[in-house]
Amino acid sequence: MLTRLKTQVPLFSMNSYTKLREKLKLSGLSLASTHSHVIRLGRHSRHNSKMAVCIAVIAKENYPLFIRSVPVQNELKFHYTVHTSLDVVEEKISAVGKAMADQRELYLGLLYPTEDYKVYGYVTNSKVKFVIVVDSSNTSLRDNEIRSMFRKLHNSFTDVMCNPFYNPGDTIQSKAFDSIVSAMMVQAS
Amino acid sequence: MAQCVQSVQEFIQDSFVPMVAVLCSEDAEKVTRKNNLNFSELLRPFCRLTSEGHMRDPSNQLQVVKNLRISVNNVVTRPSVPSSGVPGHAHRRLLSEVVLTCQPAEGGVANVITAGDYDLNISDRSLKASVPWYSDWRDTLTELSTSKHYTATTPWFEAYRESFLQSMPASDHEFLNHYLACLLVVSSSEAVPVEKFLKLSQEQHRIQHSGEYTNPKWFIPNTLKYYVLLHDMSQGDEQRADSVYEDMKQRYGAQGCYLLKVNSRTAAAGADEQIPDPWSQYLHKSSLQTPVVVNNTAVENNVGGTSEVDGHDSEEKGSLDNTHPLQLDTPSDTPGSLDALRAVAVETKPPPLTTGVAAATSHGACLTLNDHDRIRLFIQEFTFRGLLPHIEKNIRQLNDQLVSRKGLSRSLFSATKKWFGGGKVPEKSIAELKNTSGLLYPPEAPELQIRKMADLCFLVQLYDLAYSCYHTAKKDFLSDQAMLYAAGALEMAAVSAFLQVGAPRPYPAHYMDTAIQTYRDVSKNMVLAERCALLSAEVLKSQAKYSDAATLLIKMTSEDSDLRSALLLEQAAHCFINMRNPMVRKFAFHMILAGHRFSKAGQKRHALRCYCQAMQVYKGKGWSLAEDHINFTIGRQSFTLRQPENAVTAFRHILTNDSQQTSTQQGAFLREYLYVYKNVTGACEVALPQLPLPCINSSATRVYFGHERRLAEGEKQAATHVSLDQEFDRDLAAMWQDLEEQVVAAAKRGVVPATFQSTQCCLNSQTDNLRFPLAVVEEPIIVEVVFRNPLKVPLVLSDLSLLWKFTLKDFNRPQTQEDSVGDAVPISNEKEASVPRVRVCVTFVSINFFCLIPLCLLPQARLKLLPHQTGQLNILGLVYNLGTSVRGRQDLEIQGPRLNQTKEEKTSVSHGPDRRLDPTITPPMPLLEVFFLQFPTALLCGEIRKAYVEFCNMSRVTLCGLRVASTHPDFFTFGSSSLATPLTPLSPTSFENCSAYKTLATPPGATPGSVAAVTLVSEGDFGSGTGLRGGVSGAGTGGKGITEIPLGEGTLKPGESTQLPMWLRGPDQEGVHEIHFLFYYESAEKGGKISHRVLRHTVFICASRSLSVRATACRSNTLPEEEEEERNGSMLVFVDVENINSSEAGVREFHIAQVSSSSKQWRLHKCINPAEDKDCKLTSRERGKLCFRATRCKPLQAEKYTFADLSLGNELIITSTTPCADFFFRRCQPLESLRPPVAMETQGRHSRSQGVGHGGGDKDIAGVVRKCNEVDLDIIILWKAFVVEDNKQVILEGQLHVALQTIDKEACSLTPKEEAQEMVLLKFKPELPPPMTRPSMEQLSHLIKTNLQYPESYSHPFNQKRYLCMVPVTLTLSNCSLAQVDVIIDLRHKTTSPESLEVHGSFTWLGQTQFKMQLGAQEVMRVQLRACFLHAGVYNLGTPRVFAKLADQGAMCETSQQTATPALIIIINST
Repeated sequence: MLTRLKTQVPLFSMNSYTKLREKLKLSGLSLASTHSHVIRLGRHSRHNSKMAVCIAVIAKENYPLFIRSVPVQNELKFHYTVHTSLDVVEEKISAVGKAMADQRELYLGLLYPTEDYKVYGYVTNSKVKFVIVVDSSNTSLRDNEIRSMFRKLHNSFTDVMCNPFYNPGDTIQSKAFDSIVSAMMVQAS
Repeated sequence: MAQCVQSVQEFIQDSFVPMVAVLCSEDAEKVTRKNNLNFSELLRPFCRLTSEGHMRDPSNQLQVVKNLRISVNNVVTRPSVPSSGVPGHAHRRLLSEVVLTCQPAEGGVANVITAGDYDLNISDRSLKASVPWYSDWRDTLTELSTSKHYTATTPWFEAYRESFLQSMPASDHEFLNHYLACLLVVSSSEAVPVEKFLKLSQEQHRIQHSGEYTNPKWFIPNTLKYYVLLHDMSQGDEQRADSVYEDMKQRYGAQGCYLLKVNSRTAAAGADEQIPDPWSQYLHKSSLQTPVVVNNTAVENNVGGTSEVDGHDSEEKGSLDNTHPLQLDTPSDTPGSLDALRAVAVETKPPPLTTGVAAATSHGACLTLNDHDRIRLFIQEFTFRGLLPHIEKNIRQLNDQLVSRKGLSRSLFSATKKWFGGGKVPEKSIAELKNTSGLLYPPEAPELQIRKMADLCFLVQLYDLAYSCYHTAKKDFLSDQAMLYAAGALEMAAVSAFLQVGAPRPYPAHYMDTAIQTYRDVSKNMVLAERCALLSAEVLKSQAKYSDAATLLIKMTSEDSDLRSALLLEQAAHCFINMRNPMVRKFAFHMILAGHRFSKAGQKRHALRCYCQAMQVYKGKGWSLAEDHINFTIGRQSFTLRQPENAVTAFRHILTNDSQQTSTQQGAFLREYLYVYKNVTGACEVALPQLPLPCINSSATRVYFGHERRLAEGEKQAATHVSLDQEFDRDLAAMWQDLEEQVVAAAKRGVVPATFQSTQCCLNSQTDNLRFPLAVVEEPIIVEVVFRNPLKVPLVLSDLSLLWKFTLKDFNRPQTQEDSVGDAVPISNEKEASVPRVRVCVTFVSINFFCLIPLCLLPQARLKLLPHQTGQLNILGLVYNLGTSVRGRQDLEIQGPRLNQTKEEKTSVSHGPDRRLDPTITPPMPLLEVFFLQFPTALLCGEIRKAYVEFCNMSRVTLCGLRVASTHPDFFTFGSSSLATPLTPLSPTSFENCSAYKTLATPPGATPGSVAAVTLVSEGDFGSGTGLRGGVSGAGTGGKGITEIPLGEGTLKPGESTQLPMWLRGPDQEGVHEIHFLFYYESAEKGGKISHRVLRHTVFICASRSLSVRATACRSNTLPEEEEEERNGSMLVFVDVENINSSEAGVREFHIAQVSSSSKQWRLHKCINPAEDKDCKLTSRERGKLCFRATRCKPLQAEKYTFADLSLGNELIITSTTPCADFFFRRCQPLESLRPPVAMETQGRHSRSQGVGHGGGDKDIAGVVRKCNEVDLDIIILWKAFVVEDNKQVILEGQLHVALQTIDKEACSLTPKEEAQEMVLLKFKPELPPPMTRPSMEQLSHLIKTNLQYPESYSHPFNQKRYLCMVPVTLTLSNCSLAQVDVIIDLRHKTTSPESLEVHGSFTWLGQTQFKMQLGAQEVMRVQLRACFLHAGVYNLGTPRVFAKLADQGAMCETSQQTATPALIIIINST
């Protein structure tokens, strides 16, 4: 029942997610006020887009260590999306039995698709979560490429962790990590 | 989904109930109107049947009908909802009002998820939202995920659903809400009731069959008519009614009519009787379908008109606004000026005035409990005798019809199926179908008959039968492509499958999905789709398929209705949290979406509630962007809902967090906050609210007691003391405390009182703040507050002032008088009545304008208070204007240091008090100000300079006991108090070029430097000296650096000032010296709370190199002159002076003006410099040498110091007077303390090399030997430097000291820079016992002084056969020590080195070549020797070797004594 949910959502309500998106044009915050405009912009710039629109690293305790999204004005929406996707991540992790937890694959696959975006998840053995949000119209990205992106991200994250000056639990401010992430992101034009 | 009060079965049953229409005569209407009700309303509370009914199904099985409810409604011919599927405006408004009025109860119990703080009470909630206690919420979360019972109820949703379902329009494809029966009601007071019945019956027939009205719809052509005679007990004739009823029974049959007696209660009687009012809760929800008749005015046509309905709409709007549907006692039918009401906006509308009916407040006023029972009985009778048999009959009929047709249709269907070769009817091809919603069956179509029968069965709970009928109908409709009909059948099939007892088949959820999709996409009927979704979600929820329910609900959200979307999203959110693994984040996210939709739908309260609930998930989890957004929305919503306090707390939360928002965003937040805040403060003026911005770094608050000081005032330079501009330095603070302790000890005669606490003028986070600080009345208190602006936009503060509380206390009198002000007194308010009194106690200074630039690290504000009375002051906080107009306060609460003393304190986290801000105001104390005049900043090493100090007492209290302690006591002197110093100029102006020294012109005849002038001085004369020596001599005064300052009478009167001369001497070491002075003083009035006060001063002196003086003392080898009676009493002192000044431009040359000595034993006797120019001048890097002879002083003067002055110029400086001697004594001290360890060390090394094992005698050998070599002679070199300054020549004076301690050892004026003690190895073993002190070889070699006496040249005629030249030589031995010494003189000793032979040639000693003798203490002995020369030449006679040992040390070897300098003799051949 639980697993059905995420695949079911877009079944016959593709426009219900437009509504969700519209709902995010929440009153007051100018963060979201230019929202639809930005989305259009994103679509125009798609030809040079290659990869993710949002990359997030979430700590074991589920607070963000790092969030970067390409349309900056849309940040709030991505925050909400990533935060909500954590429920699915936890569900996926708990679906794997205790005994199998060691052999669990780190890559969780598609967490849930929305009309505009696809959300992919990856959980390290130390329960640090990586979330990559991809424009759903971006068909050039295969599962394998997403996997390799996560692997790259994981490697870079490991480097950050190995830095003796990094205080585990702090937000990541490493420039190296940032540049790796930027390389994976859609170039905001 | 939230829990409902009803069970799912109940809910579905109640959603579809048999409908009964009512037609009422005017008179009957009047009867019910007495109770403020119309007939259908009157019946409504009793429409649920409590007893079971029975009926037979078509197969003649007896079925039980339980818990049946019927719906009784007036006949309304106007459709309430257009059947198009798009709800009308009025309908929407009704629903929105239903939701609006149904708010969570204020108590909060009903809306709490038991798993934690899911308190939805709004005011409560937002308070919690402002305190992001992470752990608190985490607990809630864990509880949430572990607990199994969530009982969150959402009554507004249920209310909405009920209203929605009840207002479903009757449509053609289903019959569930078509009228089954019609009640015809006539009053017994009617003249001819039977006629009236006939009329009503005709009316009903007209409505149903004439075709004039599409509404209402009727189930079956021959609708059941039930005749009700209404009898008013209070008016009518009961017998007549009975007789009419009998008549009716005859006419309509006993089961088709009823006599209902009501209004048995007279208005007068039993007014106090409490009758329950069951109507109120029914009247709002369903009023749309049952129009209320207004105001007793007879309705001409019971089948109400359009205008009337309109009226109800607006009327309800009015009443709904102000009443809660679940609350009692509110009028449902408030009449009023409807037009006016319509115009007023929904939210702000005041309660409409009740103009007409006074008794409108209660329903059923004329009904007794008996009447209630009668009505109940009536309904039961009607249902069981009338309705159920009617339904039963119809089911049978329909069944029979269908059975008869079945054969035909079955075969037909199967034939078509075969024909087309299809298997089942393709249910899934719906999407491909063209829009067939327009397809209409004629009313008598067999498909509809099945459906009709199914509906009938469903209504009377024959779910098995209903299911099979629906199923059949579904197939038929689908085969006909009648999609709307099919969807209806699917929906009901699913529902009835669900309701079947024992559930023979699983609930077909896909039926529902298909139905919803069809309604939505094919029929475009959102109302039906919504109903279907609501039912389906409820069913899924009951089967714990929460995620399916959530999906379903989310799918139903759409743009066309915000309210519906909001409600459904909220329910979906509840579904997420009810899942087995609660999806908290999804819950939160959908709550936010719901909140947004609510706010769009104008449901602000619900919106706020949703956001608040979502907040609980986001709060404190690091998702700051989302958190800020929610807070902002909460703030806005709260504000629009007139909850400004909550708005303020929410906004405050955004601003206090270190937000990641952009600066423009922050600016917007700030503006919004200030605006809201202003409105709040405008509302209540009682207490100033707390402002969140800017952040105050309260622990960095500093408190300074005393005046702000100006350091320089013309020529005068004030003591630096302590100021707020100085950084706190722990080492310095310790140094000051040490100094203060010393000076207090000196003042208290060597004892530091137990209560001693060092004075702290400036309190900060690092000082000891455990005690209440003491401030003095009339002296300001300056509080420095450190701000931090967390935002990226500038903050403007203005009108800053301190908030304080003051308790008056008179310390002189025991009685205390409480007089507190402040706290509630906003100080800035000039209108405040108590301000004059405030001013008496404390005046304050406020800062007018203060701008906090973003990211500026530590902007500070200094605020001043001036206490005028004694007492206890508590500084509470700050008041200021933020932005332009918002005034608020912030408290200053300083947490003390963490306690770490006891075990409990170590294991727990507890903090000590911090009393920085609670000063005690004490009675006046003297206040000293010290000014320095002509105080130099740069000096040459050893330079003497005279400066002046001015002491002022600034207060109204006499000052006494002035002392000064310093880290460099040798730097300055105030002169000796005992010796009058009349020669010093009294005022600085007369000083000019005069020497700092006391001088005398040398007598004209005397050659400079010939004979020393001698003065005897006792050390005690220099008062400072006693202090200096005190510490060393172990008297325990502890005042090694303490100087008492010689004030005139020892006191300084209020306002008085004294100027004193002060001599300074440049430090011996070059470089920059930091010199600290601590002035100590007391009040002349004893017994105050403050025992003493101090004033600090720090100067920096830059010392540059002047002269380097090295001096050596040698034994003179010449024989003591005859006139010197004392033996052994002369010494040569060589003084090397070098000009090491590096600035050649500044200092032209140094003159050695005078050399003086000071010693207890020795004195300089005369200058024996061979140079002609006695006035020694040294230009840069020049070096000069001076030789002096020193002699011993007379023994009786041992305790006094002998100062011997040898002037090299034409002025004699009397060194035994003030500046010179003062400095001499001041510098003595450190050297003396240095001496013993040095001796110890050298001796120690020596004895180790020699081996241990000698007895106790060693100690005195050491003493003796040391004594023998010791010189205790201090040389004072007085110099003058000619310095060019600004093209002017200035003469500077100075003095350097050299302490000669040991013979032949060079001493230097510059103490060699002590090498920093290298790392000392840690020693774990106890140190070896101090080795035997044994005199070193070198020391022992000084025991005997030898001297050869011989003619310098000797002529001898060698060629006259006198080949040998004999010269008599006298060897003088003098014992330098005070012990007996054994001496061996060996003449045969040859120097082994060959070159000495070559150089000197050879001669021989004649006669006895070895002598052994003993010399007594300081004995001089002469030995006559003869030297024999063979040739003329120059010979060194210094060959005799003298060995000496102390007489009583038998085991010791003789030590070779130091040879005298080469003693050359010239032998001249006289021929």
